[in-house]
Amino acid sequence: MKINSILVALFTVSLLASCEKNETEPLQPYDTGVIVVNSGNFSDNNGTLSLIQRTGQTTVTDIFQKENMRSISGGLSGYAEVNDKGIILVDNSTAGKDAIEIVNARTFKTVATIPSVEIENPRTVIKVSETKAYVSAWDATGDFSNFYKNPGYIAVLDLTTNKIVKKIAVQNGAESLALVGNEVYVGNTGSGKTILTVIDVASDAIKQTIEVGRNPTLIGLDASNKLWVYAAGELQKINTSSKTVESKLKITASNASKSPSSFVLSADKATIYYTFSFYDAADGYVQKGETYSFSTTSTAIEAKTPFINRLFSGGLAVDPQTGDLYAGLVPSYKQAGYVFRYKSNGTLIDSVKAEIAPSKFFFKK
Amino acid sequence: MVRRTSTVLVSVLGIALAGFSPNCYSQKEQTLCEVTVTAVKPERFMIGQKVKDIDSTQLAQNRFTTLANFLQFQSPIAFKSYGAGQLATISFRGTSSSHTAVLWNGVNINFPSLGQSDFSTLPMSGFDEMTIQYGSAASCVGTDAVGGSILLRSVPKFNQTGLQAIAGVSAESSKNYAGQAGLRFYYPVAKNWKISGKTLFYGADIRNDFGNDPIQNRKGAQYPVEPMQTLQKGFVQDIYALHSNGNLFSLNAWVTDNNLTIQPNSLSLREITQTKAQRYVLSYNVGKTLLRAAYINDVLDYGRADNTNPSHTDIDRYLFRVEHDFSWIKSCERGTNLKVGSEVTHYAAQVDGYGKELKTENRAEFYLLLRYQHSLRFSSSLNLRQALVSGYNPPFTPSLGIDYRVFSSPTDRLNLTTNIAYSYRVPTLNERYWVNLGNPALQPEIGFNKEIGAVWKRRTSEHFHQQYSINAFHNLIDNWTYWNPDKNYKVENLQQVLAKGIEIETSHRFITAAWEATAQFQYALTHSSQQKAYGPYTQDILGKQLIYVPRHSLSGTLGVTSGAWSFTVQQLYNSARYITFDHSGRPFPSYYLMNAWATYQHKLKQHRLHFQLQGNNLTNTLYPNLKKNAMPMRSVSFNVIFIFNQKK
Repeated sequence: MKINSILVALFTVSLLASCEKNETEPLQPYDTGVIVVNSGNFSDNNGTLSLIQRTGQTTVTDIFQKENMRSISGGLSGYAEVNDKGIILVDNSTAGKDAIEIVNARTFKTVATIPSVEIENPRTVIKVSETKAYVSAWDATGDFSNFYKNPGYIAVLDLTTNKIVKKIAVQNGAESLALVGNEVYVGNTGSGKTILTVIDVASDAIKQTIEVGRNPTLIGLDASNKLWVYAAGELQKINTSSKTVESKLKITASNASKSPSSFVLSADKATIYYTFSFYDAADGYVQKGETYSFSTTSTAIEAKTPFINRLFSGGLAVDPQTGDLYAGLVPSYKQAGYVFRYKSNGTLIDSVKAEIAPSKFFFKK
Repeated sequence: MVRRTSTVLVSVLGIALAGFSPNCYSQKEQTLCEVTVTAVKPERFMIGQKVKDIDSTQLAQNRFTTLANFLQFQSPIAFKSYGAGQLATISFRGTSSSHTAVLWNGVNINFPSLGQSDFSTLPMSGFDEMTIQYGSAASCVGTDAVGGSILLRSVPKFNQTGLQAIAGVSAESSKNYAGQAGLRFYYPVAKNWKISGKTLFYGADIRNDFGNDPIQNRKGAQYPVEPMQTLQKGFVQDIYALHSNGNLFSLNAWVTDNNLTIQPNSLSLREITQTKAQRYVLSYNVGKTLLRAAYINDVLDYGRADNTNPSHTDIDRYLFRVEHDFSWIKSCERGTNLKVGSEVTHYAAQVDGYGKELKTENRAEFYLLLRYQHSLRFSSSLNLRQALVSGYNPPFTPSLGIDYRVFSSPTDRLNLTTNIAYSYRVPTLNERYWVNLGNPALQPEIGFNKEIGAVWKRRTSEHFHQQYSINAFHNLIDNWTYWNPDKNYKVENLQQVLAKGIEIETSHRFITAAWEATAQFQYALTHSSQQKAYGPYTQDILGKQLIYVPRHSLSGTLGVTSGAWSFTVQQLYNSARYITFDHSGRPFPSYYLMNAWATYQHKLKQHRLHFQLQGNNLTNTLYPNLKKNAMPMRSVSFNVIFIFNQKK
């Protein structure tokens, strides 16, 4: 008995000692770097997350599988973090098989899985408070004649319980999200809806809608606190106090068949980058285009001299820490893509091999 | 078609179930005198190629199996399955799913819009005989036979008399149910005419119910289970009228209807694929001339939810063929056979993806198949084919084969074989006519296959037969089509693939008065890879094994029959399969499958009752399909088949 008491005492002491040590927080494997969301090939259900560092060529592939001994069952449509939790949006090619995986953002060990019955076609996730994330979703889709058949919704994800606590019905094809102060703006893709929905984060209720034109895509808040939206083929500046459209600009170019996509703001919020491309019918439908930029103070936007004379189909993102531009290159959906990095002046830094279809990026501290 | 040897063939519906048929060994040797009575099968001209008949026992035992499930145990045939009861496409000798010709009664039944067959919709009970041909045989059978061909036949049975009826049911623990009922009849109707035929109805309700939760194995692999239901029904009708002068009328009909529903329990999430085919072949063998007309209609509808507005594919094919056999027979061991034929096919496609208008296409083929047998030691073939297609012409397609017996003794025979063959694949209708993405100027794919083989047959006694064979092939396929993502998935002749490999087969058979045992084993080493760069990032994929093609594949069948009992075990091992062109990411791991049957046959006067206990995936192996969902785990099924024979 005595010996046991001594052992218990020793154990307690050692526990206390280890607690003290923990105060210096050892570095976890996923504390720093950039998470690359590789969407995968849709019907292959092989989306993955990779971790790259801000400098260097090393890529840690399929980090979810690495840490959890199971793979993500589907393509990937988004990743965001709320404090120490990572939220992964899983889009399986079979209807009714999507999911949200919640992991420890520092270790990538699984924390919880929101099952498929609770989420269908999740598209974008953003942090809206210290305990809450919003996930836009299409709900079940229909056949090609009426693809966005159901109203979209915003799933309110409570990260203290790891549960969806509310679904806010919004316009069909709900896609892009932007947090402005205490409000979240919701745009949509493909469905032809013409409004932005504004949601109050405190009450998780719709405040109002703003008419902007077909299929609005949110870009973000610029340095002068104007919200940029691309809708009805125009770039629009929205005054978030009055909820009115202040200006509209069309991109002019010598080639009228080009269309823009992948808008992203620079780190100083003074420049917007975008890709501008078309399928050349005269040349076997080869996709042709470049990456352009314009100043948020421009009064006219002309796509004349490319910022980067190259087209990226995998999406663009800017590292808020370094200001570097990250661009996903997708050679095909059956082979690994690359992440190209450029300085904010357009100089190529390097390219890093990622996985299938690098399309979104999350920048860690 | 009547052959003298048909007298030794046993009824597929009947006796075959009782034991092993005499055709257990592939390629039963027939003399020239025997085979040239009427028409000569195209397989006779495939000299130097590996050709294997599947014995009727295996066909009968797999009466509730689909062609996909059966053929996966025949290395090097691999399947790309989207799930049990779902689309299953073939990869034969490392080629793509449109590089295997599937012929039913001499007519290519690949779905013309895709140029391939969904082997999950073809049940084993739809035909009477099957031959597997390995490698390029386009000069013999036409388009698609680049990696191999699967030849399915209906066969008249004029040797039995009266009526035979069959009824069978199958219930599987994974909530799969199947049933079939049919008749086979034979009657002399007039002084010079005999009528024979077969009618069979079949149906299945397949759920593959393994729960709703993801399945995990001890190694930590985890795959979800996809809720599905397949309703399959079909109808086979064969009628033959044989005149005493040998002339034969045949009508073969095969109607299939396959309805696959994913998420069947949720109206909103449902995804429905309905595949229907009607196939009719009318043949008249008059002397050594064959006249054949065929009509095939393929319908494919894909819809979601309440399925009110499915996307629709409806393609008609009309085919006419005239063929004549010549023979110059010096002796039963020496002589020449020549088959000369031509066919025309008209395609009419109403497909949503092709736009509103009907797309039509005409194709014609002319062929000359020559077989020269100098002696039992030496035979050779020279086959020539020229196909013509509206708008452009596939290349002239010759092949040359030699079979030489280098050693012969009362117990042993060793044959060396070689074959050199061009092959081609006419682009599919989707590849030519899909709005914007299709390419009417697409070139046919061209294959050039060279192979050598050796077959050693050994019969040390009446009780023990052995056969060993080895084949090596080198098949270069050029103009391989690719839906190019750089061009918004417009299809182009961009790729060049080299498929090469070695195949080893062994076969053993012991026979005693009381029992019989067989062991068949196949191993295939297949390397199939992209050869030609076609874009800046194709350097990452050159020389790498094609996706879903296992490098090593082993399969085998063991069988024992004793009295009323028979036991069969089927096994399969496939090495890891890559799922990306550049081998990035995690490949599908290697897997092993085992199925087994125990059959007891009970005789009731002249009737028979079969009880069959069947175990599928007995080792409960977890392995993924193409959508990374779990394939079926262990299941047990119980089959009962009743065979009624009219009193003689």
